[in-house]
Amino acid sequence: MLIEILQQTINGLAIGGVYVLIALGLTTVFGILGIAHFAHGSISMSGGYLTYFLVTGQGLPVLAAIPIALAVGVLLGLLVEMLAYRPVRHANHINAFIVALGLTMMVEGLNLQLFGHEQVVIPTGLGRIIRLGGITMPELRLYVILAAIVLVAAMMIFVERTKTGQAIRAVAENRDAAILMGVNVQMIPLIVFGMSTALGVAAGIMVGALFAIAPGIGEGLVVKGFAVLILGGLGSFPGAILGGTVLGITESIAAGFISSAYKDVIAFVVMILVLLIRPQGLLGRAP
Amino acid sequence: MTGIPTRILWVFALLVLAALPQVLSVKYYLHLSILALIWVVVAQGQNLIQGFTGYVSIVQAGFMGIGAYSSTLIGLHFHWPLWATIAIAPLITALFALATGYPSLRVKGHYFAIVTLAFNLIIVIVLVNYSELTRGEAGISNIPKPWSGDREAYYYFALTLAAALTLLAAMTARSRVGEIMLAIRQNEDLVAAVGIAAWKYKLFAFVISAMYAGLGGALYAHFQGFINPEIFGVAQSLDAILAVILGGSGTIAGPAIGAFLVVFLPELLRFADGFRLILYGLILVLATIFMPIGIVGIAKSVAARFTPREARHG
Repeated sequence: MLIEILQQTINGLAIGGVYVLIALGLTTVFGILGIAHFAHGSISMSGGYLTYFLVTGQGLPVLAAIPIALAVGVLLGLLVEMLAYRPVRHANHINAFIVALGLTMMVEGLNLQLFGHEQVVIPTGLGRIIRLGGITMPELRLYVILAAIVLVAAMMIFVERTKTGQAIRAVAENRDAAILMGVNVQMIPLIVFGMSTALGVAAGIMVGALFAIAPGIGEGLVVKGFAVLILGGLGSFPGAILGGTVLGITESIAAGFISSAYKDVIAFVVMILVLLIRPQGLLGRAP
Repeated sequence: MTGIPTRILWVFALLVLAALPQVLSVKYYLHLSILALIWVVVAQGQNLIQGFTGYVSIVQAGFMGIGAYSSTLIGLHFHWPLWATIAIAPLITALFALATGYPSLRVKGHYFAIVTLAFNLIIVIVLVNYSELTRGEAGISNIPKPWSGDREAYYYFALTLAAALTLLAAMTARSRVGEIMLAIRQNEDLVAAVGIAAWKYKLFAFVISAMYAGLGGALYAHFQGFINPEIFGVAQSLDAILAVILGGSGTIAGPAIGAFLVVFLPELLRFADGFRLILYGLILVLATIFMPIGIVGIAKSVAARFTPREARHG
């Protein structure tokens, strides 16, 4: 029983890492630009699809395909910001959300046209399984967890330590004061979108390697990402990290012990319970 | 705009709709028109929460599903007459809306949208997996149809309901409750500051909008004779939002026009085939950027431009 719980917890860490990466992208965009970037999941999956295509179609090694997918993903993120979100920047926030829904349809449609209906799995060639005591751990899952930790750490260092990161935080904190201090506020949205899309594409590749990419997966993932934000507290980085990990482990344990068909329901029920008890989220500041 | 020309337009629109089945020679267009009338009901409900109160709910199709399955299953298991099952469907939907609205309305803006979307996903997951009751993904067929499936009769039935519920939405919007809903959309903090319990009005708008959707779902089930969980997915909830935006958010004619658009537009885009979803998304993005006030909003501003200044104040 204890071994089983431990096993499910470790299983949950990998998917939890994916949730953290998605949620970090969403929370940055929301915290700094106030946009609920619903198309994030579908764009992330485009990156996953592209990796699959480069590896199986073009014969590229996975490690060469990943940077290309990341670069294309970042480009797509910048385009989305400039063409779709910028025109509604000063309109009602609902408008930006509806634009995001339209974008989701477009990207999902594009994915269908380019990559088809079939579900795809990115071949990584990492098939070894590590055994430790009664616990088994596929090699791939370990790498995913490590990659997630590295990416999260890199992003934290970027935001906390670099001058650009400081500018981003300054805009999030007080836009007008940041402008007065000479922060280039036209550049900030682009940097934010580039960064969050890169994290998203990384998550998309992880999903493609661990499970599979198929139409609709991106939409499901972005909803989970928002659930993580609500769980952890809106706009909070530590909240996104804690929330994503908690959601991944909860789901994994629920799937193992209760029912895998209802694991998504359980995730949402947790989110709704948090809303009822602590509307500002686990680590959010009280309003 | 003055009240009288608007009223004339409404009467004219009703007359055209009433004459439609006599004019349409292609049976398929009658079929689409009935679907559009059902969507008028759903969109009017969506407009109450999205357009008037300013909360974008993404669970409307889920509520349609609850209405559709309630009416179908009660008829199947308890052998109630069809009219009674259609009548009780919105009431059952209202109970679900009360239970889901309370936690959802604790958050605002986007997060309300996301939480309602999660509810839509939950509804679909339960409909798929609780197959002892719902027969899962295969769905339920041979749902009884009134007038032994006569489309023309069903058209007038749907038209009557759509017209009545549009009128009810208009009356709600003009009432004190409607004014408070509008005030919440404009400045919720101010509403609370003058001592009005905003949450009551938000919950009211949410539950009423769910009842519209529940009725729409029941109408859909007994028109098509077949339902499955997929029909009530998030994509259809987005259609309800699209109908409101395209037609004109916060107007009465807007959702009615928008409903016809979301039913007929995909048919017109059939030529685009695989690119339909992309085109549809593009229309949504462009409409939001370039005409956020919708067709009715544009028509109103055009009409205002051509109305002499004196008449505008009359």
